[in-house]
Amino acid sequence: MHAARNIALCTKDCLCLFVCPTGATDTENGQIDFSRCLDGCRLCVDACPSHALYLVFDRYPVKPQKDAVVASALDNLLESKVKQELIGTALAQGENGGAKLAKAIAHSNRVLAEDCAREARYMLPQGSETRKLLTELLGRRGDPGFPVDAVEQLLELLQ
Amino acid sequence: MEYKEPHTNGALAAICTNLSKACDKQMRPTEAGLFDKLASYFSQSAGVAGPVSINDLDANIAADTESGYIAVESRAQQVGDRGALRCVTWGKKVTAIHKSVLVRYAKQGDALMEGSNLYVCEACGFIAIAKEVPGLCPICKAPASRFTKI
Repeated sequence: MHAARNIALCTKDCLCLFVCPTGATDTENGQIDFSRCLDGCRLCVDACPSHALYLVFDRYPVKPQKDAVVASALDNLLESKVKQELIGTALAQGENGGAKLAKAIAHSNRVLAEDCAREARYMLPQGSETRKLLTELLGRRGDPGFPVDAVEQLLELLQ
Repeated sequence: MEYKEPHTNGALAAICTNLSKACDKQMRPTEAGLFDKLASYFSQSAGVAGPVSINDLDANIAADTESGYIAVESRAQQVGDRGALRCVTWGKKVTAIHKSVLVRYAKQGDALMEGSNLYVCEACGFIAIAKEVPGLCPICKAPASRFTKI
């Protein structure tokens, strides 16, 4: 568990610099130096007067398994939203006046599709359903251009 | 191992961008980049929809409204899946906005957007046609910073 800074909330009062035992909060890019941040220390989180610091977890709980009927109904909805996204994207490339509106509709449908994916079972990158999907995607090794190395790295990194 | 999951390439792209955003929120830029790489591959593989017109959206919107959301909602109520119910609550409203925007566009044409900008809420997909970015999303209450200007 290490600290992270929400720059939009940070008021530069710098109390986090005073309390940090390792200097991890004082960096040139505004983010915490995770390699120096002490696991679970949370001194900066408690010291910040603007609630701009929070803890990012390294481990996440195992989620209850999704009901199969809910998951499959969400899968169907996901496919429908993606279809609408593709229609919107095709229209956005046209010369017609509604191209910008089509782009907005495509973008909105991507957000809707992502929400369906999340609730269907792919909420956590570390979750077992994500792992199962990645493992099955290894089967696409050899498909032209398929970045199997990305899948392998994700399986390695998301233990 | 054979690929068995019931998702099209387009859906896999959305699954991967969702997971990339989740990695970003967990301050895992490496993993986010890898999911983005997969998402790009799936987007390319999904290709481009054939000759389409703006009316093609109507049938899908009607199907979502009349059966898609109802299927999720009725089962989610039975099993007490409040996360799925939240997704349905927001999604139904956003889908209704799509419908109303399309109806208004059919009547008014480009005049609908004249002097206004288009904003999309990154949390729920709400589309605003307005001069200024909304202060708060009317559907999910996300702040102005969560809107993307199209």
